[in-house]
Amino acid sequence: MSGARVEAPAAKPAGAKNSAAKPGAAKRGGKAVTPNTGERTIVAFCCSECAYAAADAAANARASLPPTVRLVLMPCTGRVSPLHLLSALADGADGAMVAGCLEGQCHYREGNFQAIDRVAFVQRLLESVGVEPERVRMFTMSAGDPPRFVAAVREMDRVIGSLPPLGRA
Amino acid sequence: MPLTHRGREIVGRLPHDVAIGRGIGCEIVRHEELCVGCGTCAKNCPSGASRRGDTFDVNQLLSAPADSRRGALGAALQRIARHAPARVIAVPERVTVFRTIFYDEEECLGCGACARNCPVEAIEARPAVVPAAPAAESTS
Ligand code: SF4
Ligand code: SF4
Repeated sequence: MSGARVEAPAAKPAGAKNSAAKPGAAKRGGKAVTPNTGERTIVAFCCSECAYAAADAAANARASLPPTVRLVLMPCTGRVSPLHLLSALADGADGAMVAGCLEGQCHYREGNFQAIDRVAFVQRLLESVGVEPERVRMFTMSAGDPPRFVAAVREMDRVIGSLPPLGRA
Repeated sequence: MPLTHRGREIVGRLPHDVAIGRGIGCEIVRHEELCVGCGTCAKNCPSGASRRGDTFDVNQLLSAPADSRRGALGAALQRIARHAPARVIAVPERVTVFRTIFYDEEECLGCGACARNCPVEAIEARPAVVPAAPAAESTS
């Protein structure tokens, strides 16, 4: 998983369990606790063939990404399982996005179609427990289109910013 | 579980001196909390008694054992849940697991193919106690 880089955003009192597992976040959470100040975390699961390459190119072109996003390199978006997405949300992220190749251009033929359906499945799971399904979203792009990657991340950041904070038990 | 009508019919066709053993009229016990919804049982079922559905009962995630992947998924969902899960959601086509399996006891032959093929041993095929001769008489 994205490990210690996913941090507990809005120090909920119940976040104690959360920060216990993550020493980095424990330091942050130990200091007394501002409510959600607009700081949020978005985990972006990026396919190494396209989205991660696009992110690389965007960085080389010095395009600025929202500071809220954490990139996680995946070999293919077909590797992203519902458990990745849900545990990102449960362990402190406010949103999770999956960025893969354009439809029909998956390096492994249909990994991104699998991801699209899994994302839809997780959205329905979230909906069934009363959480906004927009917190999980799939984007597609090609490696040669860094602006589209940047736009996708900004869009995700904007949507997550407009949602109420995600409470955790 | 008593034998089903198909089971009785099959047993009734056997000569009485044939020992009735495992594989004929097994008692099928499904453990839904272990099932991962892969549909292997349904694929191997000769009678259509086990059927793979297009829906998923979210509560199955919450009742899965904690050390399983499903259990982990259920725990994650539970942490961010705002209310108890709605029972049933539709499953997209390419999500191959996470499906509720419908099992119809009446259609079941008790052949045990589902139990043999289940990857997580969520189905138990118990040898049935067959009162051979009386059962044969009552159906013939
Ligand atoms: S025992 Fe045989 S007939 Fe019954 S559900 Fe299993 S595979 Fe189907
Ligand atoms: S084969 Fe086993 S795990 Fe797969 S759907 Fe059937 S009962 Fe569930």
